[in-house]
Amino acid sequence: MSQFLLTRRALLQSTTMLAAATALPWKALAQSGGRLIVAADSEPKNLNPAIVASNGVFFVASKVVEPLAEASFDGKDGLAPRLATSWEGSADGLSVTFKLREGVTWHDGKPFTSADVAFSALNVWKPLQNLGRLVFANLEAVETPDEHTAIFKFSKPTPFQLIRNALPAVTAVVARHVYEGSADIAADPANAKLIGTGPFKFEEHRPGEYYRLAKNENYWGEGQPKLDEIVYRVLPDRAAAAGALEADEIQLAAFSQVPLADLDRISKVEGIKVYSTGYEGLTYQLVVEINHRRQELADLKVRQAIAHAIDKDFVVKTIFLGYAKPATGIIPENAPEFYDASVPTYAFDVAKANALLDEAGYPRGADGNRFSLKLLPAPYFAETKQFGDYLRQALAAVGIDAEIVNNDSAAHQKAVYTDHAFDLAIAPPVFRGDPAISTTILVRSGTPDGVPFSNQGGYKNEALDQLIDKANETVDVAARTELFRQFQKLVAEDLPLINVAEWGFITVARDSVKNVSNNPRWAVSNWADTELES
Amino acid sequence: MSVLSRLLRSPEGAIGLALLSLLALMAIFAGVIFPDDPLSIVGPALVQPFTDASLPFGTDRLGRDVLAELVHGTRASLAVGIAAAVVALVIGSLVGTLAGFAGGLVDEALMRVVDAFQIVPSFLLALAFVSVAGASLPVVVLAIALGAWTAPARLARAEVLSIRERDYVAAARVIGMHPLEIALREVLPNALGPVLALSSVIVASSVLIEAALSFLGLSDPNIVTWGSMIAEGRNVLRSAPFLSIFPGIALMLTVLGVYLFSEGLAEALAKRRARA
Repeated sequence: MSQFLLTRRALLQSTTMLAAATALPWKALAQSGGRLIVAADSEPKNLNPAIVASNGVFFVASKVVEPLAEASFDGKDGLAPRLATSWEGSADGLSVTFKLREGVTWHDGKPFTSADVAFSALNVWKPLQNLGRLVFANLEAVETPDEHTAIFKFSKPTPFQLIRNALPAVTAVVARHVYEGSADIAADPANAKLIGTGPFKFEEHRPGEYYRLAKNENYWGEGQPKLDEIVYRVLPDRAAAAGALEADEIQLAAFSQVPLADLDRISKVEGIKVYSTGYEGLTYQLVVEINHRRQELADLKVRQAIAHAIDKDFVVKTIFLGYAKPATGIIPENAPEFYDASVPTYAFDVAKANALLDEAGYPRGADGNRFSLKLLPAPYFAETKQFGDYLRQALAAVGIDAEIVNNDSAAHQKAVYTDHAFDLAIAPPVFRGDPAISTTILVRSGTPDGVPFSNQGGYKNEALDQLIDKANETVDVAARTELFRQFQKLVAEDLPLINVAEWGFITVARDSVKNVSNNPRWAVSNWADTELES
Repeated sequence: MSVLSRLLRSPEGAIGLALLSLLALMAIFAGVIFPDDPLSIVGPALVQPFTDASLPFGTDRLGRDVLAELVHGTRASLAVGIAAAVVALVIGSLVGTLAGFAGGLVDEALMRVVDAFQIVPSFLLALAFVSVAGASLPVVVLAIALGAWTAPARLARAEVLSIRERDYVAAARVIGMHPLEIALREVLPNALGPVLALSSVIVASSVLIEAALSFLGLSDPNIVTWGSMIAEGRNVLRSAPFLSIFPGIALMLTVLGVYLFSEGLAEALAKRRARA
């Protein structure tokens, strides 16, 4: 404890001293500078975004290591160039050509070339990355005719639409000279001290306290970055983030670190702004996962009854306090390219749910219950847990007795995705721009046991599997989009899982922070244009 | 004058008894006053207390009746508190009596086991046990008892050490009673008085440990406990503090009731003894 106090004090001292030291030059260089202090709620050990494509890692690492392209509100195809300046797929779907940015250097001074991209793609994204494994499954070779051209060659037709949509999340480029010859890239010490091309250099990580990033003076972006430093203060307690913001100890809390229930109050505090945009590219979905091995749940009527028993508006209004949307199906409204609202929907209707259950042959017993289920809410968010409490009551209203089983993250993943010891589970999967990245896996059969956020409910539907496989090799954009329209219709009809709501997170920042939420993946983008007004 | 009337005469005893009876009544009749599942959603979310006559204590984040939750929460708190104390006392006094009466190697061995349990903070022990064995009411009771049985064991052993040298124990030996019979039938009942005095302390701390465990999410999520109510309310502490304050007050009254009652009882018993 005393050690904690000491180091905490040391941190505060150093922060104030540094702030004092930079206070004078601030006046001189009026436009830029300053230290942005941000709340971080998790502390990933492996910070390499090329290996671990998750938002917790991106939140810190995306400022240091850049992807080929980033999501954008107004760019062509929703993308803005980063390390690649242009990208083009061949008509046969067997190759994609990237033109790379010239004059970019790594943080250690070496030049960035196409060899780095080839190395990242073949040695990191394809074999090691959780999402890249799927997207680049058929990547065979990367040709580098010159230092600024990389041509990806695929063994089977791979839809360019998929590659393009995946660029922001899966293509963080790491330096070949850092990792080449490493026996185990996933466990390389360089993953904890990143070298990248981004606007900020990784300076230090003090476990339990903070990460510190400093300005990259040689960044390729003209006049960027605007900030001198970003400090991620580790504040695992959600209630603490709101207090720290009000006290101006931190200037920004992303990923709904400030609890939804506090937003109404904090939005009225002078000098603090609440942003509900900037997460369009990372839509979270509230999903009821179903174990189809349970005889009752294998019956479509029972699944339909459960869907009818859930009041989505209540979930949105009461649990998400309006910061969410009711879901119609497996593809969220935030993906207009694929979204189709004309799928079968299940309106909240307790009488109909009861009728369906009677029809299915599960009458109420003497105690009013038809059958009992085990319900496992994912512990990652307060909202998933609260929805668990709500679902138990909603099911009780139609005569299904659900017993809630709470687990910590590790035990929950084991119970649901490895041991299949659940009847219903509540999961928050993420839609990442293209259904093939992390969405079709939720319903496709054949995923080995133990893969988190995949179909582990024993659901198997030949027609659906064929549809998914066909979309994975359909190069024509219109045809592929049409396949995904059929896909969401089929999912909505057969209910392998039930989509309840979809939400983005909330960022709360001091007014002094400028250019917040100006792209659809803002919290996990590079923040090169983020400014701090003093 | 009976112990009861003596108890009622002392202010501590009277208040303690009143509080405890009230809580006991709430626990027993919870199912009659609020026959529905206390976790069912009955109204709009976050109704402020004392604004709606049908929901006097308001509702929580999901629209559940706080009063119904509080009343049903009494059950978990009292049941766990009392059950854990009983288990701890039974195990503790048995182990203590055996150790004290047998002496020698058995005593050494048993007392080292007691030491081993005593050096681990009882809350950490309970925490570890529940997270391994899974959260359910019996597991929580056992987990709390696991950290609480050492104090009665030590006390019982100390008592037994003095009692076993008494004449009537020697007499029992002479008439050929089995040592185990002597230990349990002659010695234990006489050593029990001071050990029982510990019970209130154990009940009070058990209630608190249970609340702390469920505050951390280590309780059966399908029943209401005050600790889990406080944990739920913590998320909206700034906008709806009553959600944490009501169960907090209930917790405080319970512990206070147990404490005052035991204080009054000890006084009443001491007076009786002094007169006798």
